[in-house]
Amino acid sequence: MSFKVIKAGFHSTIQDRGRFGLAHHGLSQSGVADEHAYCWANHLLANDVNDAVLEITFGGCELLALIDTCIVVAGADLGFKINDKPQPNWQLIAVNKGDTLTWATPKKGVRAYLAVQDGFKTTQHFNSRSVNIRENVGSLIHSGEELVSKPSKPCDTGKAMPAWYQPNYQEPLSLRLLASYQFDTFTEQQRQVLFGQTYKIGKASDRTGCRLEGKPIENTPTTMISEGIAYGSVEITTAGLPIILLKDAPTIGGYPKIGTVLSLDLAKLAQRQAGSEVKFELINIEVAQNLRREFDQFFI
Amino acid sequence: MFDIKLAGENAIIIYFGDEASPELAEQIAFYTELLHDNLDDLIIDIVPSYTSVLITYDLNELSHQAFCNQVSQVLTKAIFVKQKHQSDIIEIPVFYDHEVGLDLKRILVEKDLSLSEFIELHSQQTYLVYAIGFSPAFAFLAEVDQRIQMPRLSTPRIQIPAGSVGIADKQTAVYPIDSSGGWNIVGRTPVDLSLNNYENLKRFMVGNQVQFKPIDRQEYLYLGGKL
Repeated sequence: MSFKVIKAGFHSTIQDRGRFGLAHHGLSQSGVADEHAYCWANHLLANDVNDAVLEITFGGCELLALIDTCIVVAGADLGFKINDKPQPNWQLIAVNKGDTLTWATPKKGVRAYLAVQDGFKTTQHFNSRSVNIRENVGSLIHSGEELVSKPSKPCDTGKAMPAWYQPNYQEPLSLRLLASYQFDTFTEQQRQVLFGQTYKIGKASDRTGCRLEGKPIENTPTTMISEGIAYGSVEITTAGLPIILLKDAPTIGGYPKIGTVLSLDLAKLAQRQAGSEVKFELINIEVAQNLRREFDQFFI
Repeated sequence: MFDIKLAGENAIIIYFGDEASPELAEQIAFYTELLHDNLDDLIIDIVPSYTSVLITYDLNELSHQAFCNQVSQVLTKAIFVKQKHQSDIIEIPVFYDHEVGLDLKRILVEKDLSLSEFIELHSQQTYLVYAIGFSPAFAFLAEVDQRIQMPRLSTPRIQIPAGSVGIADKQTAVYPIDSSGGWNIVGRTPVDLSLNNYENLKRFMVGNQVQFKPIDRQEYLYLGGKL
């Protein structure tokens, strides 16, 4: 046992890297929304790259430590406190039995990650601990539940992420887009509408998709024969507005797709609140792969 | 013939045709297995659908161009052999009745059919699994007899009970779990197709054949069906 849930919060789930190899059965990838924060949290704890963490969205969460343990909180600043005292993100913290950990409301970013040494050892579903509410695979954490982890090794308290890696979740975000799928079937003029404007993130955004609000693309291609959806695909709905498909999205879909967003930018997007502004810019596949490889090589 | 397109930083989509057909579905099932067998070490996920196959691969092993080349090589060398259906027809018992078929009454009036005529048209057909998705283990089956094809509801229902059998145009399917949806509901199976039973993950595969077997109320309840 390691933590008892006192308050579950708005939307808190256990997540790991995701569920792979089962998409042909309709199971989505799932997994953490912000891979950057997740990887840093596990990295600082010298955990495995696939260790499970608690993804806390918006806050309202309170946990009671049942053992002495070592943690890292990464990602959004949700006003994290231990026994009412503010605590930093992005560094190792020793937690004592009886301590109360709280996340109140979003100050910067949207999703905070609580990582413990060796990861949470909650039930696996189809080789992953990632919860997918849409698919009915696992569930939100609930008050009274105990989140299991292994007893801790000694804690290297204070070990932190170098400050220059700290992301700024409030800076303008330009999403780098690959010209994939039906990109060619959109006219130059229609593409201009996508690249030429600043969109706002819609309220109805979640782990399945990020809905953007703005000037619609007119005369979009109608729905098409359903086909496999890659992480970050940008669907253009019949109304002409983009939906960026995220970790919990269905495995197939029938809207035309104008491109696919680079995964590293999807991690940043996961920390933007509704109403934030985003733009699109093109990136080519060679550059995109190099950037992702650099990221993977740093953490793996 | 095939056409490879970029789908993401570590994903490509291969198109094998423009229109869904039973012949194309068989080819796609064949090529999916072939690619899986040949490039297993590189492939993370492979998702066959009506006319295409999406593959995500490990970009730390090889580049987009190198992966496209490998896929092309495998596909160019391959000779499609019409598969003998190794698996038997999967039989799903269905209770067709107004009690569980929320849209049956409307369909019968619109199509000018008796209930028994409708049941015969829906259950005599052998369906092919064209795609799996929407939700886990949700199999898109086709092709529904023209006389009972119905467009999706204009407003989807908030909740359709698990086991419900629906029709949307040429397609029919069973909802494995309670979910929202816009298909016309014509009956319900007592069989649990949800992932509460992990075996259900592998019940349907693209290319499988499925047939519905009409059962009466008594048998439906006996098999564990809920009303």
